[in-house]
Amino acid sequence: MNAFQPTLRRLDRDLTVPIPNRLRILRELEFDLEALSGELEARGVPPEQARARALDALVPDGATLRELDRLHASHYRRLTRHFSPGRLRTIERSALALATAVVLFAETFLLLRADWLRHASPFLWPVLGLGTLLFAAIATLAFRLWVKRDHQDPAANLRVILFLSGLTLATGIFGALADLLRLAGVLQAEPGLAGSLLLEWLPASSVLLSFSLLLALAGGLAWFIPAHWLALVSGAHAELLGHPLPNARPGAPRSLDPARPHQPASLGESS
Amino acid sequence: MSKPDPPGDQEFDAQGFARGIHELLVLAALREEPRHGYQIALDVEAQSNGVFRFRHGTLYPLLHRMEANGLIQGRWSSGAGRRKKVYSLTDTGRRHLSGEADRVEDILAGLMRMLRRARELPA
Repeated sequence: MNAFQPTLRRLDRDLTVPIPNRLRILRELEFDLEALSGELEARGVPPEQARARALDALVPDGATLRELDRLHASHYRRLTRHFSPGRLRTIERSALALATAVVLFAETFLLLRADWLRHASPFLWPVLGLGTLLFAAIATLAFRLWVKRDHQDPAANLRVILFLSGLTLATGIFGALADLLRLAGVLQAEPGLAGSLLLEWLPASSVLLSFSLLLALAGGLAWFIPAHWLALVSGAHAELLGHPLPNARPGAPRSLDPARPHQPASLGESS
Repeated sequence: MSKPDPPGDQEFDAQGFARGIHELLVLAALREEPRHGYQIALDVEAQSNGVFRFRHGTLYPLLHRMEANGLIQGRWSSGAGRRKKVYSLTDTGRRHLSGEADRVEDILAGLMRMLRRARELPA
């Protein structure tokens, strides 16, 4: 283990800047600490003393950490610094609810005007409802990761997106099969209606399957891109600090301490 | 009786001056060639005979602020499996160094004149 890793881990906990920025700061510091202590050792300073001098010169104290936090804070955090956390949460949730309502309204407005919906499958409505929920989940995650730049514990959001995508696809497939079975039942009873029934069933089923597939595909992409990005960040975290980013991956255990969600449980460092 | 002329167009900002000095030290350290953060710290300490020394990581907010202001440019490079950040002077930084060095010289010359006069007065 790198001699400076305990210090880097402490700084990782104390800095509140977004994780990618924090990793860049720590990586720069790690190289400088090792290079400076190496240089001092080359000048004849004993190793222990060289490390202590490097730490004293380069490791940020409380005031410097606050300065780094201020410098590297996200634009969103700078803009909203005057709001209390509770009030900000209320504003964020209201904005999300409003955005979802706008999407729902636009979706309903467009669908009611569409001719092909006259004979829509009854399963199309739950699929569109799930699609709206999927939009809300994707918007929440995108807002957290790329606007608010809060990268702590996104696994729950990712799981919700994956679950909703799967459920949308399953509902579409199940709906298409149920419609087919219903059609078969009606055709058995009244074979004379085959032509007109098939003309109704075919577009309704195609629309249902297309919508569910497209929504599931969008959800899958919305899951894959942040999951892949978080895996890269987590890999960089592991390389630098010796452990992956906790809770970055879907399925990773949740932190027990919400105040310090990225604090590793067994680092064995007291400072 | 006419009022004495004001000492300058702007009021002297001691805190800003101190911050400006640190920026100038970094710019001066980068004048010849790009350097890593620790090399800048070592260079400043060596060139100033230990008068100026960066402690408690104060170098980093300074470097990052200067980078954001376009005075210096930080570049990541890889070597021996490790990533390191090297800073170099930008054209803006070069101009800033030369303009501010003249201004600081003027301020210090004024200060020295005052101190010399004070020393020459009988106790």
